[in-house]
Amino acid sequence: MNRQIRRLGVALLVLYGALFVQLNVIQVLRADAYNDNPNNTRAIVRDFNQPRGQILAADGTVLARSVPTEGGQFERRREYPEGELFGHVTGYFSFIAGADGVERTYNDALAGRADATSADDFGELLLGESQVGDVRLTIPTEVQRVARDSLGDRPGSVVALDPRTGAVLALWSFPSYDPTVISSVDIDAAQQARTELLANQANPMLARSFRETYFPGSTFKVVTASAGLSKGMVSVQSPVYPSSSAYVPPLTRNPINNFGGSVCGGTLFDILRVSCNTAFAQMGVDVGPEDLVAQAEDFGFNQVPPLDLPGVAPSPIGDAGSFEGNTPVLAMTAIGQNAIRATPLQMALVAAGVASGGKVVTPHVMDEIRDQEGQVVRRWEPSAWTRATSPEVATTVRDAMVEVVEQGTATRLAVPGVTTAGKTGTAQLGNGLSHAWIIGFAPAEAPRVAVAVIVEAQPGASEQTGGRVAAPIAQAVLGTALEATA
Amino acid sequence: MITERRRNTELGLVVLGATITAAIYTLASLGTTADLPGDIGPFLGVVLALLVGAHLATRRLAPAGDGVLLPLAGLLNGLGYVWIARLDENLAALQATWTAVGVIAFVATLVVVRRTRDLERYRYTFMLVGVGLLLMPLLPIVGKTVNGARIWVGVGPVSFQPGEFAKIILAIFFASYLVEKRELLGMAAKRFGPLTLPELRHFGPVLLAWAASLVVMTAQRDLGSSLLFFALFVVMLWVATERASYLVVSGVLFAAGAFAAWSVFSHVQNRISLWFDPWVDVSGQGFQVVQATFALAWGGVAGTGPGLGSPDRIPLAETDFIFAAIGEELGLLGAAAVLITYILMIGTGLRIALRAQVPFNKLLAAGLTAILGIQSFIIIGGVIRLVPLTGITLPFVSYGGSSLIANYVLLALLIRISDDNAGIETPGRPVSLSSDGGP
Repeated sequence: MNRQIRRLGVALLVLYGALFVQLNVIQVLRADAYNDNPNNTRAIVRDFNQPRGQILAADGTVLARSVPTEGGQFERRREYPEGELFGHVTGYFSFIAGADGVERTYNDALAGRADATSADDFGELLLGESQVGDVRLTIPTEVQRVARDSLGDRPGSVVALDPRTGAVLALWSFPSYDPTVISSVDIDAAQQARTELLANQANPMLARSFRETYFPGSTFKVVTASAGLSKGMVSVQSPVYPSSSAYVPPLTRNPINNFGGSVCGGTLFDILRVSCNTAFAQMGVDVGPEDLVAQAEDFGFNQVPPLDLPGVAPSPIGDAGSFEGNTPVLAMTAIGQNAIRATPLQMALVAAGVASGGKVVTPHVMDEIRDQEGQVVRRWEPSAWTRATSPEVATTVRDAMVEVVEQGTATRLAVPGVTTAGKTGTAQLGNGLSHAWIIGFAPAEAPRVAVAVIVEAQPGASEQTGGRVAAPIAQAVLGTALEATA
Repeated sequence: MITERRRNTELGLVVLGATITAAIYTLASLGTTADLPGDIGPFLGVVLALLVGAHLATRRLAPAGDGVLLPLAGLLNGLGYVWIARLDENLAALQATWTAVGVIAFVATLVVVRRTRDLERYRYTFMLVGVGLLLMPLLPIVGKTVNGARIWVGVGPVSFQPGEFAKIILAIFFASYLVEKRELLGMAAKRFGPLTLPELRHFGPVLLAWAASLVVMTAQRDLGSSLLFFALFVVMLWVATERASYLVVSGVLFAAGAFAAWSVFSHVQNRISLWFDPWVDVSGQGFQVVQATFALAWGGVAGTGPGLGSPDRIPLAETDFIFAAIGEELGLLGAAAVLITYILMIGTGLRIALRAQVPFNKLLAAGLTAILGIQSFIIIGGVIRLVPLTGITLPFVSYGGSSLIANYVLLALLIRISDDNAGIETPGRPVSLSSDGGP
């Protein structure tokens, strides 16, 4: 019997060995995956009960902080003193809805789990000392406030950034929301607030500035012009596009008309100044689908801009193949309609790309992270995202955009005493309404601020709409941002 | 001399176990309330009193008995208590009472069973009592269904799980029955290749045990116990007869039974599909296993620390799933320590079996150890999804009076057998560990 007893021992040892292996699989190998599982609320409960760092505006205004609760399930609650002003930027930190915005992107730093802010030696790891970080943003409260006040209660977005560093200076959408309520520790109140926000037709939780796409309208002509210049097909002197009120692309009999049936034509500067549809439609068809799409992609279209916020939408342009034998769509796309859509952020990046000599920098809202002793543990390192055009092409486009502000459709963008570059857009929706757009930057000779503004569904369908409605908003933001970054 | 040394070792280990328990208890209290437990003094006193009481009983009643089993069991019991106290204060008070009753049962067993030979005599009484206990929950009026399993018996205010006691009593019966019949059952009749099959009629007992297991599984819906009983019988039959063919035939029967159960019973199908994929119904059927997995993963290597995790999210964390609660807060290190404790107990139990000179003792020690080893494996494996989940308690750790008391009785029997062994290990009667000790 002893042999069997020994074998029984070996068999049991094997079984327990298997238990040990399986424990390693769960507790070590797959632990991270299980911890990140969306059904696992342990992380968020833990984060709720631990100290959490602040989110600060560039000027030091507190945008999010944790305050102790008076009893209840959680020890702390999150509050957002500036309310809806930074709602889409900070996001929320909610037991019921998880986290969004900066709260999500920089959760590890805020919760004290980032490598940089915690456990730099084994002793700290064992003691479980956590060092929460404060996240300081690139956005000055004043610029954000001017963006909000200028747009008013019209649905739309304002995005401003520094073309040299990618630092976001304003990121505002109307309508917005106050993250405090859905971050409430009163679970029922938070749930109800979230349900109401989600049911709201105006969709205040949607960060239109980087999560919604629109026809960019004539602002896209900046990309078309860049494509023509990059290909060597267009220069300052030639071609001289024929004066016309309608352009009929090959393969169709449906003409593309100028606004109000006006007649326009001429050189690149002439046609950009008045935003000549017929000429840019023809330029797009002449450039061809491959080069137009490639140019757009070089500006960041068809990709997710690497902004450090969650859920950034890509700005889609159809692939080159889809335009083959479909010149009418290509012509429409070249003037920012039909097969092209863009987020306000993407259009701000187009402006920034032109402003910084053809280089598109990585946009970001985080400036630096400090630990509780005030030591900087992480500072944003500016980096290039894409190369859109050569510096020469960028200079030519810039000069053309300066003329648009000085003598063209974007005169209302001019910041007093500063050379300003811009391009308007009026994306027709086909029901007498248009999205009013403008993109621009200043000072033209050494740009420090690039901006994109959209005001949704404005009455009117003339090219004047963008210049009339959107330009004053962008002008106010440009002016304030230039002062703030001076 | 040897006996004195064993007892002193036992005392030292018992004190060590109590100290570890008290230390973890303190940490858990610090973790949950950020305060030292107010009752740490009395707590340590009670733990020491119980374990030292049991130790004094072995010193007097089984002086040459094994000195490692009691401290190991005490450590597991203490660990279990800390997590029960951390999860549910009310259950902790009850568990403390059950521990006291368990220690009394431990002492009583040593008092009553002075020689294991006495047990052998009442084998058919044991059989009747064992089967009776096993089937008792099926009786009307006294039988109760809790959490879908009909394994409880309630008489007045007292409820218990007779199955926990039935497993020990049946092990005693199997041991005495098999020792008598082992020659007969072991006779070879036919050879099939490498297999030597006994005569067909000798498979009768296997079929009987199989049928009884199926009754437990179908009528009581207790998959874990059913598996444990059948495995216990098969292991003991194999050890007794030294015929691997019984393992093979039993394996086939088990597979057939398992397949039949799977095709007929929805609750068995549930268990199997949840084993394969608990994620399809994360908030429903799979909730418990998924929560246990989350808890263990959250613990990682070093654990959250006692009192700092959230094992209260796992349903039944204080009974069947207590291993996940410990694994979350003590991490892989603590979970592995629990596994090692069981391995040490199994090793000690099997060594007692190897050293036993009397075949009945040898078989009983192997059977009791198999109960401990297989039961712990079944529930830990179920919790960490190595095998399908079949609800059963984790010996010495889970909350539950019946389980705790029965396991202390099991422990006393193993110590009694080891004491018997030492009585025979006198000079002039050398013990051979390499060959069979049976007559």
